[in-house]
Amino acid sequence: MATLELDSITKHFDDDGKTIVAVDDASIDIDDGEFLVLVGPSGCGKSTTLRMIAGLETITNGELRIGDRRVNEAKPRDRDIAMVFQSYALYPHMTVRENMSFGLEESTDLSNDEIAERVESATDTMGINDLLDRKPSELSGGQQQRVALGRAIVREPEVFLMDEPLSNLDAKLRAQMRTELQRLQEDLDTTTVYVTHDQTEAMTMGDRIAILNDGVLQQVATPLEAYHTPANQFVAGFIGEPSMNFFDVDLEGETVVGGGLDYPVSGDVRATLTTDSLVLGIRPQDIELVDAVESGRDVAVTVDVVEPMGDESNVYLSLPDTREGETFIANVDGRTPVEAGDDVVARIPEEAVHFFDRQTGEALRNREFEGDADVDLSL
Amino acid sequence: MTDTTDSTGTDWRRVGLYAVLVLLVVFYLLPLWTGLMTSIKIDALSTAPFLPPAPSGFTAIHWTRAAHALAGGLVNSLILAIPGTILSALLGSMAAYGLTTLEWRYQIPVLVLFIAGIFIPYQAVLIPVSKFWAVYLPLGQYGAAVGIPKWLGDLTGLIITHVAYGIPICTLLFRTYYKDFSDEMVEAARLDGATTHRIYRRIILPLSVPMFAVTLIYQFTQIWNDLLFALVIVGPGKGAPVTVPLAQLGASLSDVGFGIRMAGAFVAALPTIIVYVLFGDQFAEGVST
Repeated sequence: MATLELDSITKHFDDDGKTIVAVDDASIDIDDGEFLVLVGPSGCGKSTTLRMIAGLETITNGELRIGDRRVNEAKPRDRDIAMVFQSYALYPHMTVRENMSFGLEESTDLSNDEIAERVESATDTMGINDLLDRKPSELSGGQQQRVALGRAIVREPEVFLMDEPLSNLDAKLRAQMRTELQRLQEDLDTTTVYVTHDQTEAMTMGDRIAILNDGVLQQVATPLEAYHTPANQFVAGFIGEPSMNFFDVDLEGETVVGGGLDYPVSGDVRATLTTDSLVLGIRPQDIELVDAVESGRDVAVTVDVVEPMGDESNVYLSLPDTREGETFIANVDGRTPVEAGDDVVARIPEEAVHFFDRQTGEALRNREFEGDADVDLSL
Repeated sequence: MTDTTDSTGTDWRRVGLYAVLVLLVVFYLLPLWTGLMTSIKIDALSTAPFLPPAPSGFTAIHWTRAAHALAGGLVNSLILAIPGTILSALLGSMAAYGLTTLEWRYQIPVLVLFIAGIFIPYQAVLIPVSKFWAVYLPLGQYGAAVGIPKWLGDLTGLIITHVAYGIPICTLLFRTYYKDFSDEMVEAARLDGATTHRIYRRIILPLSVPMFAVTLIYQFTQIWNDLLFALVIVGPGKGAPVTVPLAQLGASLSDVGFGIRMAGAFVAALPTIIVYVLFGDQFAEGVST
């Protein structure tokens, strides 16, 4: 087990004389035994970051340390890491047993008996004992996934690296493997870096998540912190399903105006706003549908589309005086009787409102959140 | 009613298809058949070339004579073609691994050189190559100095020439094959601690079997059937591959010698046919990927 430190890691790619910055000055300290999820949209540099940790890409600038040892120049084989690939990358001509022993044969001096023992214990953990003599082509996707994980854990490395390992599985199996992987990581207590574009995986699996966009690290925080106190508008929009609603507004006296809203803001909140040009953010889960307008924070709206999902419904609402198709989303109880075309009232509670600087995207005011308090996280 | 007309239509199409297929079979097999018939007739010109001989006109003498005349050449050709084939396939596979799976600078210029090698005609290098083996590196003479027969030394020169000529095409074939290998698989092997050499030995080489069948068949046929280099580098004599005595076979007799020439052609072609039969399944798999 070891800590993993990324110290101002930067990666430049050379593309026909032009320099492309894939990862820009990313610093993350990952604790021993921690499960860190690297998340971001495609092309944000998360896989490149992982490949730099693995030693499959060179590091342009900065220092990478595994357990206080600088490993920038170390070959992948000398870094004591194991990686699980999206495509599983099993060796097609080898049986499961051979796939799993390969790494031990190549990188250790263990005797054949010891290797066999380690492989058996890893297959026990993964529940794939009965597959030992099969070839990858004879296995289902889920089984291949287990073998790929088994191949990583049998090495007993300092650090696990996982590159979207669940994205080739169907939804049901993915949910099941998600839980299993989490339990496995807790049991083994091995430092893990997990790359995904799926924010459900990010929220549910990680001790902390690191959100990347355009090669720039946006925030490193626990899932709940990132959800409730996003560092900027990108994180606020990326984390959470459905996405946070944003309104471009301007502070005019005691209200913010724009995007069809005319929303009163209390003095406490106004004090945190350092600029007049703002973005108001509100999560769909925080919007309530009520019967009548009771205050300035209730707005009369028309229901555009209803997406029933059983326990809950996503209701697309349009404000009066806005363009056709410009809607925001409220996430309400699935039994709420609403239909497209209904006129309803949406209540936007002030304590749940976020404000961002419209120029920099930086969060000026987040909803109230005590890191340690029990928070009802209804994703 | 419509059903019957339909099925008659299909039937006629079927008949047409088989007629064409039979014609093609005849077209391809007629020369072989004619050759075979000619080789077992006492007098090749006594009946039409494709008709079998009358019982009294049958003979095996051409076959025994041809086999006798070509026996030495067959052995030489095996000494030439087996190592030549294996070496060019193996080296081509290694070169393709280095040029495809590994990453380093100036890969493309080196690859271009390899590709260019495919297009150099034999005739263009005939004189330089013969001069090289005769003057600058006379392996036959070197061998003779340490007691190895001169013909074996010359034959070694011929093997090296064929290997050098075969590497470019083998490299290209293997490269096309290796390009479809998953990068992640090779990366997984690197992370598993395997060195470049071990990755080739344990991952790439075992997965190359179908492509080896393709290159083995191709190179074996190329080297076995070559006359030009054989004639120029080794020439007639003790070390001559089978193509050299085959070319002289009929001419050494007083008559035209159709029979013995045909028998000789069959004898000389036999090993390539055996190779095709042995590696045919793997060949098909390699070509289809």
